[in-house]
Amino acid sequence: MKLEGTFTFNAPQEKVWEVLTNPRHLEKAIPGCEKLEEIEPGKYDATLKIGIAAVKGTYKGMAQVADPQRPQRYRLIVEGGGSPGFVKGEALIELCHQNQSTVVTYQGEGQVGGLIAGVGQRLISGIAKMMLGQFFKQIGKELKTL
Amino acid sequence: MPEKQQKKWVGKGMQRKEDLRLLTGRGRFMDDIRLPQMKYAAILRSPYPHAWIKGMDVTQALKVSGVRGILTGEDVAAMSQPFPVGVPIPPKYYSCAVDKVRYVGEPVAVVVADSRYIAEDALDVIEVDYEPLPVVMGIEEAAEADAPVLHENIGSNIYSHRLFQYGDMQKAYEEADRVVKGKFLFPKYGSTPIETYGVIASYNPFNEEFVIYNNYQGPFVNHSLVAIALGIPENKMRWIVPTDIGGGFGTKTGMYPYIALIALAAKKTAMTVKWIEDRREHLLASATGTDRVTYMEAAVKKDGTILGLKDKAMDNTGGYIRAPEPGCAYRSTGNHTGAYQIRHLDREVMVVATNKCLTAPNRGYTCQELYFSVERMVDMVAAELKMDPAEIRFKNFIQPDQFPYTTATGGVYDAGDYPKAFQMALDKIDYQKMRKEQLKARKEGRYIGIGLATVVDPSVTNIAYVTLALTPEQRAKGHPKSGSGESVIVKLDPLGKAHVIACTNPQGQGHETVISQIVADELGIHPDDVSVSDVVDTYDRVYTITTGSYSSRFASVGVNAVVAATRKVKEKMKKIAAHLLEANLEDIEVKEGKFYVKSSPEKSIQVKHIAGTAHWNQTALPEGMDVGLYASSLLTMPTSQPPDSLDRVDSSNTYGFIAEAIVVEVDPATGQVDFLKWASVHDAGTVLNPLLLEGQVMGSIAHALGGSLYEEWAYDENGQCLTASFQDYLVPTAMEVPKVDIGHVETPSPFTALGSKGAGESSTMSVPVAIANAIADALAPLGVTINELPLSPNKIWHLIQDAKNRPQLS
Repeated sequence: MKLEGTFTFNAPQEKVWEVLTNPRHLEKAIPGCEKLEEIEPGKYDATLKIGIAAVKGTYKGMAQVADPQRPQRYRLIVEGGGSPGFVKGEALIELCHQNQSTVVTYQGEGQVGGLIAGVGQRLISGIAKMMLGQFFKQIGKELKTL
Repeated sequence: MPEKQQKKWVGKGMQRKEDLRLLTGRGRFMDDIRLPQMKYAAILRSPYPHAWIKGMDVTQALKVSGVRGILTGEDVAAMSQPFPVGVPIPPKYYSCAVDKVRYVGEPVAVVVADSRYIAEDALDVIEVDYEPLPVVMGIEEAAEADAPVLHENIGSNIYSHRLFQYGDMQKAYEEADRVVKGKFLFPKYGSTPIETYGVIASYNPFNEEFVIYNNYQGPFVNHSLVAIALGIPENKMRWIVPTDIGGGFGTKTGMYPYIALIALAAKKTAMTVKWIEDRREHLLASATGTDRVTYMEAAVKKDGTILGLKDKAMDNTGGYIRAPEPGCAYRSTGNHTGAYQIRHLDREVMVVATNKCLTAPNRGYTCQELYFSVERMVDMVAAELKMDPAEIRFKNFIQPDQFPYTTATGGVYDAGDYPKAFQMALDKIDYQKMRKEQLKARKEGRYIGIGLATVVDPSVTNIAYVTLALTPEQRAKGHPKSGSGESVIVKLDPLGKAHVIACTNPQGQGHETVISQIVADELGIHPDDVSVSDVVDTYDRVYTITTGSYSSRFASVGVNAVVAATRKVKEKMKKIAAHLLEANLEDIEVKEGKFYVKSSPEKSIQVKHIAGTAHWNQTALPEGMDVGLYASSLLTMPTSQPPDSLDRVDSSNTYGFIAEAIVVEVDPATGQVDFLKWASVHDAGTVLNPLLLEGQVMGSIAHALGGSLYEEWAYDENGQCLTASFQDYLVPTAMEVPKVDIGHVETPSPFTALGSKGAGESSTMSVPVAIANAIADALAPLGVTINELPLSPNKIWHLIQDAKNRPQLS
């Protein structure tokens, strides 16, 4: 499924970049993320607890801040597998400043497989949008702590 | 020698004997079986449609309290062989994925625990490392040279490929005035029986014997296949089927790999292991019919005569191919040309692999796919020739005086009166009046359509058809296969009641009732005096590889065996009566429980006294006669012969007929289809019990309606199954099934003892195409072509928009 959209933050680009790429902040922002543990710079072991439709489950996998071109763009890759199946998402995240704000554009693909795909496919794109909304809202909150 | 006998019970709508226990919750199904120290299995299934299994770690799962053991793919490969299957290069199909998964839902491990809950919890902590591979989901894509290949040992995705020629299609093309071409797509769907698969297996290591309770429906050739896979002789594996099975519809012919899987779990863990499939598992990984792409050409004369057909059909059996496939391509050979006198046929068949779940003979077993093409084509030819679609069918029908009729492909149609049955259907919907209504409605901007379908319903499979996967030269080198055998024992107990031991293995069809009616008529007793046990136990029953209920075979070969066995008992009773009454055998008649001398009827003896003598006064029996009173019949249909060297085979042995006439109105703004009238006329030969027949017809209509408008086993382009619950897999409810006017014509079969033919599948073959024809007829003014199913409102709406947006060529 295609994921794309824009979010504007009332903060300078450097700060937004910091929050969007730092695991301390990502851990709080990625919905359902319980833990991000660095394996190597930019790559983290992730544990996600997500509920889609009636299917709640724990997914173990990884999150990666790939090909960073500070402070303009990077690719965020999140993968997890568990009893309810697997989730995979990859998005190109681009930042550009606009007056005092920063506009963040994301464009990517999400894939879901296994149990949730089988019983929840009607709900998946709606839930993906909702989770992206939660992600960026939390990023906004994290920005305020800086 | 057929004899005139009292038909007091056969043909009557007697209430079913099974219903009292079924309706009061006293049925005995797989889940009702409790065995001592039984444990429970849960199956870990692949979330990927195509992936290497790089590794599996079960250590955490083994530590879960209550877990008794885990069976992995590695274990299965060490403990068993791949299942044999009749294709030139078989895939390595085990009951569990070994190094690779090839469809979402494929089993990768089995956990055995004290409860199903614990087993499921343990599944959560099994770690499997998958390396995903590219997927192929489309049938035509799978056959292309650059498609991702599922089976390395085969090298392509083509499991089976053959060409057939019957008659002289070249000549047909030369004589034709027109050639009409079409492409047809038939979807993947199944029958979703209300009871899912169930297996309880145990293994005795001392005598190396498996005992497996399961709700398999037959044919029992799969008992042999599982024995081969497990590397054991057949007499070391006992299958026991319970009294009641909650529906088969062909789906339960595909469950034997699970029987092997749970048997291996029992052997590895040294436990009695029970597995009841849940609904999600069923919708992911049980069995469906094949989806199919057909290209068809019809060579026709301007007067509507269809001279010949050329078609290419590509069937999809999914990630693996398993017996009885590639039967999907060959089973309908005998009736390929349907109800028509078409003598020229060129066929190409292909069976391919994609990353979808596997198949089995789903109710109708490819006749719905076949007739979807043939009957759509007949309507398309009619439109091309500006002929009425009813008229063109009458023109091409096999006529009543031509029976028994041998088709170009070797089918021997036993009996039929197609014009009569078709006319009855047309009369029931008031055809001419509806055509006038249609014209009037069009002027008002309303879209009414009439859909017709006339199909031949083949029943009782001759297993010879599976060898059509081989060429005549290949067949000549191997062992021939043929037959449709069934076995029945009829006995009378010392107090004179009849008991029938059958292994027709019903899944709700009502065999117990029909058997009672037949025996009652033959012996002049009451059906209440007949009891039946009709379950398969491979140790205690005399069965053969064709045993079971599938392909609507009970009404033909099953009934033949019941009648034959009962008549043998009756013959014996007549001999005893003649002996005791000191009369000639030829003078003995039977009526209402009494055997009497024709010339002096006061000399008579009751059934119960004959039975009594046979048991209680054994020396009073005629010299040399066996004591007791029983007889068995193990017979096959004589027309179940192997294919000949020209690939002609009588693939089934009795042929019924169905005429479907459906009137719909389509709302072009919403794509909604409403049924205005529906007539369904059936010829199933002699009707044994009209209540049962009506149930079969309505059930087949509901199943077919599902595949036509609502049901599809859907996958996305990444190979994920999207319909793993009834929220998305839309089985019709009572609200969706319209009122249908059911009619009957009886043309008794000369090949069955009572003239009956099978009717269990019936309208599944005719309804999908009749509905497609009706919608095509309704939307013809809008330039819409219909060549696929299901026709959901969304799909219809899009077809209408596409037709609007198509550039008009004048």
